[in-house]
This record gives sequence, C-alpha cells and structure tokens, in this order.
Amino acid sequence: MRLSRLRHTVQYASFLALMYGGRFGLRLGSAVPCFSCPYVPGCGGYCYLMGLQGYIGFGMSFAVAKGIGLLHALAYFTLFVVLVAVFGKLWCGWICPFGLIQDWFSSVRRFFGIRERVIPFETKQRLAYVKYGLLVYIAVIPPLATAGLIHQDFYLPFCGICPGKSILPLFAGETSYMTLNFDNAVSLGFSAALLMTTGIALVGMFFKERFFCIFCPMLALIHMLKPLTALRLIKAPSSCTGCGNCRRVCPMDIETVHREKTSRDVQSEECLDCGRCVESCPSGGALGIYFSKLKLFASSRACAAETRKIR
Amino acid sequence: MTGDNVLSREERFLKKFSAGAEAETRKIVSALRTRLDYSREFDYFIELAETCGDAEAVSCRTGRRTVNLLCVQAPVEMVHAAGFQPFRVWSGSSAASRFSLAAAPALMCPMLKALLGSLRANEGARDGNWIIPTTCDWVIKFPEMASYECPSFLPRVFWLELPHLKDGPNGGEKWLDEIYRFKKYLESMGEKIDRHSIAESIELYREAWSALTKISRMRGCGLLANVWFALIAGTMFLDDVRKWTAAVLNVAASSTAAYRNNARVFLAGSPIVFPNFKLHLLLEETGMSVVADDLCSSERIIPGAAAFEDTSEFGLMSALAERYHRACLCPTFIDNDRRVNNILGQRAETNFSGVVFHVLKGCHPYDIEGMGLERTIKDRGLRFIRIETDYMPEDERNLSSRLEAYRCTLPTPQ
Repeated sequence: MRLSRLRHTVQYASFLALMYGGRFGLRLGSAVPCFSCPYVPGCGGYCYLMGLQGYIGFGMSFAVAKGIGLLHALAYFTLFVVLVAVFGKLWCGWICPFGLIQDWFSSVRRFFGIRERVIPFETKQRLAYVKYGLLVYIAVIPPLATAGLIHQDFYLPFCGICPGKSILPLFAGETSYMTLNFDNAVSLGFSAALLMTTGIALVGMFFKERFFCIFCPMLALIHMLKPLTALRLIKAPSSCTGCGNCRRVCPMDIETVHREKTSRDVQSEECLDCGRCVESCPSGGALGIYFSKLKLFASSRACAAETRKIR
Repeated sequence: MTGDNVLSREERFLKKFSAGAEAETRKIVSALRTRLDYSREFDYFIELAETCGDAEAVSCRTGRRTVNLLCVQAPVEMVHAAGFQPFRVWSGSSAASRFSLAAAPALMCPMLKALLGSLRANEGARDGNWIIPTTCDWVIKFPEMASYECPSFLPRVFWLELPHLKDGPNGGEKWLDEIYRFKKYLESMGEKIDRHSIAESIELYREAWSALTKISRMRGCGLLANVWFALIAGTMFLDDVRKWTAAVLNVAASSTAAYRNNARVFLAGSPIVFPNFKLHLLLEETGMSVVADDLCSSERIIPGAAAFEDTSEFGLMSALAERYHRACLCPTFIDNDRRVNNILGQRAETNFSGVVFHVLKGCHPYDIEGMGLERTIKDRGLRFIRIETDYMPEDERNLSSRLEAYRCTLPTPQ
C-alpha cells in the first residue's frame, strides 16, 4: 500500500473517530494533540489547547494550583507528552481533522487547476513566530481572567479566535459559531475576530496548502517536545542527488530536507510528518521515517515511479 | 556524378560511409541476436535501434512530426504535449565519425563528431527543428559546425539557455523562464500546451520511466544483461511512448536470468550510443556485469517522474523545469557534487564492488569530473577504472587487457 493511501485512510478514520466518536461512546479525554474540537457536539476527544488554556492548564493556575486540580493538570500534561512522544507530528499530518479539511480545500483547488500561492521564504520565516506568539497568548491571558483582572470571557482566548471552532462544528450541524455573539462587548469582539480568522483561513486554505498549519500553536507545542519524540524524518545526505522533489511536494514548502548536506535529522519545525517527501524521493534510502532506530518507511525509485496521477 | 561511371570524392566517401554504417549496425545486431539470453521480446527494440538516426522513419511510425533534441535537458513531455514526437539526436556510428573527419576538429567529442558525419551524409537528417540546451562547449559550437555545410541549419536551432548553477539563487527562476520561452516556441509550431495536455504527457512518460525502473531493477538483480538495458533505454524516443512502454513491460514480464557470478560494477561517464556498444560488450566478455549506471544514454535518458502537488499549469511547468534542471547530473553543471551520491546510493541496492568510468576522448566535462569522482569512490573502498576511448574499434584489445586486469581486483559474488 502506498504511504499516501495509508495516510488518507488514517486521516478519514481519525476524522470520523474524533468528530463523531463521542456519539458512539468514544472518549479520548482532554489531551488530544490535535484539533479535536470540543465545540463539535459528540466529538471523540478534546484538543489539548483548550485544556491548556482552561480547566487543566493556565486558566486554573491561580485558583486551584494548591489543590487536587494540579494533579489533574499534571496527569493530562503527562498524557499529552506521552501521546506526542509516541506519535510525534503524525498528529498533524495524519490525524488532525482540521488538517484533513485543509487537504479537501487543496483538492478542490487542484481539481480546478488553480495555482497554489507560494509564500516568499522571508515572509514565511517571519510568520513562523506567529504560532509561538499564540502560545504566549494562551499562557498569559487565562490566568489574568482567573485572577479577575480581565473579563471572564477571556478564559479561553485561543478558542475565541481559532477557525477550528467555527468550521469543525459545521460537520456536526452546529452553525452557531458562525454568527456574531452580542452577549457583551468581549463576546462580540471574540465572535467578530473568529469570523475574521475563519474568513482568512478559508481563503488561505484554498490558495495555500495547509495554510493554517503555518500559524498553529499545537504544531509549535509538539515541536517543543521534539527531544522526547521517537518519530523522526531522517535523511542520508550521502544518497541524496538533490533533485528537489521533496521540496516541491512538501505542503509546508520546507527547504531544509532538500538543502541539508551533512546532518541526518531533517525534522524541521514546520514538518507534519506527512511523508510525501519520502514517497516522492527517487533515491533509494535517501529519506526515511524512523521510529527511534526502527525504519518504518524509506524512499525508493520504485515508489517514486508511482507518483500520483492528476485528479 | 562527374561522369557516367566516375564518382566524385564526396560520393565515394558517402558510399563508403553508407556501407560502413550498415556493416556496423549489422555486426552489432547479429551479435545481439546470437546471444544466449536473446529472446523475441528484444526484436522490437533491435528493429527500432536499426533506424535510430532516421527521424523520418520515427515520424511515420508515430504519426507525429519529430522535434530533434540534443542532450537531456529539454522536457520531452512538453514536446509531446505540443503534438510532436521528441527525437533524441545522437550517433554511435564510427563510420559517421570517420565521415566527419574533414569537417570537425580532431579532438572533438566522438558522439558529436559522429552526429556531424550523419548530418553530412544524410541531408534529410538536417531537417526539422533542433532544440539545443547550452551544455558543454562542443554542443554549443555544434550548430556552427553543422552550418558550414548546411547554412539553413543554424536558424532552425532553438537554444535553451541552461543556468549552470543549479542551487544558486536565480538558476531555477531563469530556467523556468527558458521553459516558458520553449513552450511558446513549441506552440508557435504545434498545438497549444495546456494543463491537460501536459498532464497527459507527464503521465505517459511517468509510466515509461516506471517501466524502465522495472527493468533497471532486473538488471540490478542479474535478470537482464546491461547490453539489453542500454538498447531498450536508447530506443525510448524512436516510437510512440505507449507502445515502447508496453514493449518494455513485456520484457519485464518474460525475461529470465542472464548471467551469474560476474563481478558487479557500476558504469558511469560519457554516453554510450547504439551501435557503439563496444564497452558494454567488452565488460561482459571480461567477466563483469553492469548492474547500474548513470549514463545519459541509458539510465538517465529521462530524469524520472516529475513530482508535483500543484496541478495548475504553472505547477506542472515548474515541476518539469525543476526535474530537468535540478535533478540532472550532467557534469556541465557547476554544483554537481551530489552526483557521486547517486553512485554510492545505488551501491546499497545493487551491491557493486567497482566503478567503470567511461570517458569519450574529447568529452572534457566528464574527464574533469572523473578526477574528483575517482578520489571519492576510492575513499569508500571501491575499485575504480577510467576507460578513455572513442568510437574506433582499434583499441578493443588494449581495453580488453585493462578490463581483465581490473576484473581480477574485484570480488566475485557467490
């Protein structure tokens, strides 16, 4: 089975599990390292970012740090770290339901033969800081709300602007997050900001593959745990002929894999572990996905010869 | 004719050339047909190879006008998408090489010298449009030499200006501009190239490459002799690509073990073109099996499947441009340091123990690059031999002795 087919199968299976699993008794808890949105009625698990902002993370840091809540938070954090350590960025490239939706947008663009927009290298480097900025935002705002220094509606500040909150519930028939909330000025501000980020995300996702992943704080969080993760993208620089296939098929336009001439570890910050670079590399063994030292999948000319047809 | 029975000097030369070229082809064809591993599946390719210099025959066979391509950097998919048959022009004929002696410098690349001879002998071969990427000095000056005898040759040449720095900041962009210029040129003569036509051509040549990959793996496993692989690869542009692919898959499905216990070697360097299979045959005779190569006449005849995610016209054009530029391992590039990786990378798959580096006399880029390559290969504990030759058969005994001595240094696989 080709790697991309396997990936698509996993993507669809996890989409169903994370979006509708709750309706069939699936409860994966609040430490899921991808956009398994809690605002989707009947979802199978909760995105860890929500927990991190709210009741198991920064949001409760002042109020319950002294009590049993801290153990609760630590337990979820440990679970999150374990899940990231085992699956690494497969959460982004293979499991995230929002990732699959972004891939659907790209498929529509490809179907119509519309050109993908390329973000210039310098701009991309600057945009890379946005996701870390969002992590700081997640860490700073909720404690202020808990302490009563700002309005309590700031309790989940990232969810308030995350396009996943407005788009993902649509697949469960929930449209209320696509409207303005007039409860108070803060709610109105957040709902307006959400509609704006949703609009930007929808347009961006259509013209640029995995557009939202550029800004995703979950990707940044997973990357920060890189030293603990077992799953790696490894390059054998002495086998690379520099054809550039890896760079061209990369949904995140990563250049490192192509350019690297000495180091074996080419798992960069933006990498989603989707494996497209490995699949398209015609040099036998030049690229591989490893779980610790175990080779899971390696490039080969035979596999590259099966480059997908235009849909 | 100067008189009823008296031939002019030129006519005498021409007659001699024709007889020589025919004899040369007959000799190799007969050698191929009498091999122990010959089977009927190879007949298709032998018959194609017999007409390898005849663009008119290819045009009749495919029903498409041919566009002549020199070197391997012009995307064949675009030529095909514009409604033409890509026709790789080269020659391996020593008779043709001799025929051009008076018109070419003595130390000229034998392949281009032979091509010049073929053009001199066959006026029809000069017709058509020529796509010439600016690779080595000989290629750049070739049209000028061809135009001495045929002044109309030069205006029919379309130059593809090749940026020689692949990984430089502007190389890719410049090359993409060239590819768009090439597209316009093809469209001015043929059909409009759109997203669908180019996608179809990419798919056709991907299938062809995939089939070539299959028989390349067979060669690596000892199921197909290198001489057959070279013959098959060299005929890729001599018929409709669908028919060619089907015939290759036929070979892949039917071939049986070709040889055993020969020393396994990698063949690198200058191209080896039919009917000049001198080195291929000598390697076999001296007990060596070529299990992989990086010749632009066989393994690198097309650079491989274009990988892409963006299916817009721009995306496909960019993918093709990059595939024919960045992935090209021609020694005329400045930053070609990753070429050795292609050789070493294939060692894991084919387990060869030595590298035979073929240099055509006068082929300076390969000659120069061979020096660095030799050092790296030897550092990795592999045996290396440099074979400098031309199309003439006179040095066969000498080469044979050197190859036999080299063979003795290689381990024989059990």
